[in-house]
Amino acid sequence: MKDGVCNITFGGIGGQGTLTASEVCGWAAMFAGFHVKKSEVHGMAQRGGSVESHLRFGRKVFSPLVSSGQGDFLVCFHEEEHERLKTFLKPGGVDLFEWLAKGQSEIKDPRHINTYLVGVLSSYLPFDTDCWMKALEKVLKKKILEENKQVFIEARQASKK
Amino acid sequence: MAKQNKTNQLLLSGNEALAYGAWEAGLKVACAYPGTPSTEILETLAKFSEIDAQWSVNEKVAFEVAVGAAIGGVRSLFACKHVGLNVAMDPLMTASYTGVSGGFVVVVCDDPGMHSSQNEQDTRWVSIYSKLPMLEPSNPAEAREFVKEAFKISEKYDTPVLLRMTTRISHTKEDVVIDERVLPEQPEFTKNPAKYVMVPGHAYNRHIFVEKRLKELKKLSERTKFNKIEKGSGKIGFITSSVAYHYAKEIFPDASYLKIGMSYPFCDEKIKQFAKSVKKVYVIEELDPFLEEHIKALGVKFIAKDPSYQIGELSPELIDEITKGKVKKEVRTAKRKPRMCPGCPHWFTFSTLKKNNFFVAGDIGCYTLACLPPLEALHSCLCMGAGVTFHEGLKRGAKDGSKIVGVLGDSTFVHSGITGLINAVYNKAKGVIFILDNSTTAMTGGQQHPATGLTIRNELTKQLDLEAICRACGADNVDVIDPTNREEFEQIVQKRINSDELSVIISRHPCKLLKR
Repeated sequence: MKDGVCNITFGGIGGQGTLTASEVCGWAAMFAGFHVKKSEVHGMAQRGGSVESHLRFGRKVFSPLVSSGQGDFLVCFHEEEHERLKTFLKPGGVDLFEWLAKGQSEIKDPRHINTYLVGVLSSYLPFDTDCWMKALEKVLKKKILEENKQVFIEARQASKK
Repeated sequence: MAKQNKTNQLLLSGNEALAYGAWEAGLKVACAYPGTPSTEILETLAKFSEIDAQWSVNEKVAFEVAVGAAIGGVRSLFACKHVGLNVAMDPLMTASYTGVSGGFVVVVCDDPGMHSSQNEQDTRWVSIYSKLPMLEPSNPAEAREFVKEAFKISEKYDTPVLLRMTTRISHTKEDVVIDERVLPEQPEFTKNPAKYVMVPGHAYNRHIFVEKRLKELKKLSERTKFNKIEKGSGKIGFITSSVAYHYAKEIFPDASYLKIGMSYPFCDEKIKQFAKSVKKVYVIEELDPFLEEHIKALGVKFIAKDPSYQIGELSPELIDEITKGKVKKEVRTAKRKPRMCPGCPHWFTFSTLKKNNFFVAGDIGCYTLACLPPLEALHSCLCMGAGVTFHEGLKRGAKDGSKIVGVLGDSTFVHSGITGLINAVYNKAKGVIFILDNSTTAMTGGQQHPATGLTIRNELTKQLDLEAICRACGADNVDVIDPTNREEFEQIVQKRINSDELSVIISRHPCKLLKR
């Protein structure tokens, strides 16, 4: 974390839940007491185009954008987007891409893949489980909350092994 | 670690934070037409039952309703995207003269980088042109803070206040602490023709007032905390505004800053004082050289970005390059282009238009994406409503106009297609106009409009009858047809294109993304 700021880049294509994933992490960071800035794209991107969201948290955050080569984490839901966004990672940064295929084979409902990757990411970040649960409650609809909490907990444990 | 989490702390986008701030300030009436990146401002305001919020027919209408409410005595707000303000320029320019009674804030969201827009205009110039003060928040927390102050400035100085956001501020989320709502005292509503009837004699006197007001606002700009000097340890200083401030802080955390939060009128004395206090001054701003040109006129020496950076968004990396005196490199990224959704009704309409090899005069909406491969079946896009009027002009100008048709969406037709249709009828134009009726304002995320029969809060209202209004405008033929019935659709198209009449074909099938 450069100057105590953590940089995460999320990428996917419209409809994969990329923004929901970054939203959950954003709320969790806020609940953990950090200053948060998270940028995203709306509008045209909803139509199957590239979706990219940058999340930065720390004591004090200026730019809402992660600079190229400064990313601590990269969370991608699509191979082409992963290819495109790799440049954001700093040397030694954590790329969660290998977890995508693993998650896809483990989860029952393919719509839970974003929660799965958030669960994996969670084991690297300094927030209590309580913050994550509150974040999931804040962002997800009641109807799908419990199933997603389950996926999150499983992924969080799997990545700690 | 950092601060304690508070219960009234929320993770809000710039648009949401602005809406919360306006609510706190006692906002009563809010009007807009949807437009990325501004749409969520009204969507958020509509969630507060204390606020009378509406999707208006277009931006001119929205502006006029909102300024009327302010003159009626309450705090009101109009929100739009940059090109939306163009539609509202007529009332804006004269509302500068009438001034207000309750506070009135004009929120405009520019789109540097054109994430979802047809041009990259820098609305800061409007502040000079309209002689109105402009505030520029640089992040969501400031959007909340600045809008509250904007209402106070509006009432104190009897002026509409421009508040400029950009996509990066509107769509960045930040933790923001929300306060309680406080209602201001409502002034008496009285007749005041010298102020509100803008005939030449009255307007002359109001122009005198406007010039005086500008002088007073200039004094405010000199003393406001929104134009803030931050003393750093380094020898270099940045004069900067909006999100560019944060990009510069990222790269040069130790430099000195004059952060411009009130961008018009300019704070000349503060600028000169700041320039004297550092060895080397950089002026860093996104898009046009707005600050640059004024500061140059003050005789202050500084270094500015190469003009190549006037195109597109800035970023921390670009700030670094700018200060190294580099010219902007155009980097092509392999970003996936948006496209019409699978099963979108527009696919059906456009496959027929393509098969017939028409020149399609387009408009603004999801269907504009038909210009991209594989369809490549839309050939012009200028502004809202031009699907009708540009079509008429093309037919008048082209050597062979027989294959030219016009298309526009249902929301776009109501926004500004109706006047064009009346014009075509009145001036005896012929041809075929397609209204692509997917029963929503789809591109901006599915907002209601008069022809859906529902309000911004999804309450039932009188539904505009598109067929009836096209007939009332005087179209010779009005057909309503589902484009997924391909054969029937093709037959109607053939029949109408081969007749020497003015026809409207309403191609009706709901958007796939509509919640049922």
